[in-house]
Amino acid sequence: MTLISTDAAVASSARKILVVDDESHILHVVSLKLRNAGFTVVTGSDGQEGLDLAHSELPDLIITDFQMPQLSGLELCRRLRQEPATSHIRAIMLTARGYQLGPQDAEQSGIRRMLSKPFSPRHLLATVNEVLNEAA
Amino acid sequence: MRRVNIWSMAMLVLIVASGTALLWGRPLIVGRLMLPATSLAAAGGMSAALCGLGLVTSLRRQCRFLIQFIETTDLDRRTSSAGEVAPTLGPLGRSIDGLLDRVADMTERVTGRVKELEIHLKVATAERQHAQAVLYSLSDAVLVTDLFDEVVLANESAARTLEFDLKRSRRSPVDRVLDDEDLVAMIRDMRKSDSHGGKRIVEHKITSPAGEKTYKVTLSCVPGTEGEVGGVVAVLHDVTREREVAEMKNDFVSSVSHELRTPLASIHAYVEMLIDGEARDEKTAQEFYEIIRTEAQRLGRLIDNILNISRIESGLVKVNKQPQSLTVVMKDAIEVIAPQARLKGLSIVEKLTPVFYQTRADKDMLYQAVLNLLSNAVKYTPQGGTITVETEVDEAHGRVVGRIRDTGAGIPPKDLPFVFDKFYRVEANNHMAKGTGLGLSLVRHIIETVHQGRIVVDSQVGKGSCFGFELELCK
Repeated sequence: MTLISTDAAVASSARKILVVDDESHILHVVSLKLRNAGFTVVTGSDGQEGLDLAHSELPDLIITDFQMPQLSGLELCRRLRQEPATSHIRAIMLTARGYQLGPQDAEQSGIRRMLSKPFSPRHLLATVNEVLNEAA
Repeated sequence: MRRVNIWSMAMLVLIVASGTALLWGRPLIVGRLMLPATSLAAAGGMSAALCGLGLVTSLRRQCRFLIQFIETTDLDRRTSSAGEVAPTLGPLGRSIDGLLDRVADMTERVTGRVKELEIHLKVATAERQHAQAVLYSLSDAVLVTDLFDEVVLANESAARTLEFDLKRSRRSPVDRVLDDEDLVAMIRDMRKSDSHGGKRIVEHKITSPAGEKTYKVTLSCVPGTEGEVGGVVAVLHDVTREREVAEMKNDFVSSVSHELRTPLASIHAYVEMLIDGEARDEKTAQEFYEIIRTEAQRLGRLIDNILNISRIESGLVKVNKQPQSLTVVMKDAIEVIAPQARLKGLSIVEKLTPVFYQTRADKDMLYQAVLNLLSNAVKYTPQGGTITVETEVDEAHGRVVGRIRDTGAGIPPKDLPFVFDKFYRVEANNHMAKGTGLGLSLVRHIIETVHQGRIVVDSQVGKGSCFGFELELCK
């Protein structure tokens, strides 16, 4: 119940989320879950497209896969962090690799959480709200 | 006469002894008495004077007998051609005889000992050569140093691995023989460590123009004569390949688990969406069910591929060969792949021979091989392309040929020789599709290992690829 009211509170401001994954089903299911919760969602299917969309759409949050063609999720987040226009964008990484993020990587990339696949869309939504509610 | 003889002999001995003593300037030891040389000489002189000139003649004769006896005695047979001389010499003769006995005895013992030592030497030489041969035949590098850190023994492998001149290395300080400072330090530390019978195993990397190699270095102390550390034996075992295999296995497990997780993630997520009522209408729910089904199939195919490769490689696979029509197998595979091709707007052209022609094959495996080739063609052919599936019968050579041709991305020439290798993926086309690099490896195993056929690939970047395989035709 608390969760739903939080969703509504965040959604009311129509926050924009960019989802980047090269697996079309994952893009579909994540964006559907977020849209149902009231978010505006844009999707990219590889790292480069994600980078371009981040520049043009300036989302509040990015959810990205780690291993992707062209540009990895980590590199995408690092690049966004380096540019003033996008350095504020928070990120959640969704990965199928047992990948551990070091403190330095976290700092350089702005990645706030790591979720591993298989994942729960319910849990992902809760994490999105958590990260959006955190202080910058 | 006998008395005179004895006396004269005693005199003779005394004279000879005193003369010798004078000559050497040393005292003569008789029993426990030590007679100074000068007093002996004096005593000799006096006795001679007493015996008078008559005795001199007799002594001269006796001396000649003695010389003749000594010169003619055959030491081995203990006889003298002087015949009767020995008895004539009386006690002196007997004592000489006794002396000769002892000398012969000693000679015999020494000869025996020499022979024994010769045998020992031969055995030791043979053992040393044997040990050296064993040492030289080892592929591991062996280097032995002494307590002064000088090289005492090394084999060819050591000279090759550590790049030094084997002939010049002996008795040279190890730091002059080896350029590898870390290894020199390891040997020194081990010698200084004083660990008797102790062993140290260290992993060590050696870089040469040929590339970097990894060695397992086993260092052990050689005990010296008084129990101290007398030196160090270093054995270098090349573990480069083992490390590579371990790394490959790790990469394999890592990519397999990634590949397994991806469809599993979709299944997991869509099921939860259905449970949470996120599918707002029946059409969306149906769409979810369909995704779950296809992702489960994808997961199943992946597991099949992994298991089949593993079974074929380990020789555990059960092959059930029956007369099959390649055309039928091709048609079955096309039917399965057609929906995916349609989705991408690809057209499939069939150029198949009549089903009458048969090859002895395991139907499931052959189907798997054809499906993998078709699935690749769909993956790597852009929108609007064409996939051509052909079979061709060469009755003259008793062969049936299958070909899957696409108008896709093509494979760069540098990658072509490796496309059938396990885990190998064409980097240039990596972005087009996901994969484990197992599909083509399985195809080759099925065609070549299981069916003793042959698979070939022909490709041009930007124009497309053609994978062809030959199987034996049933007579």
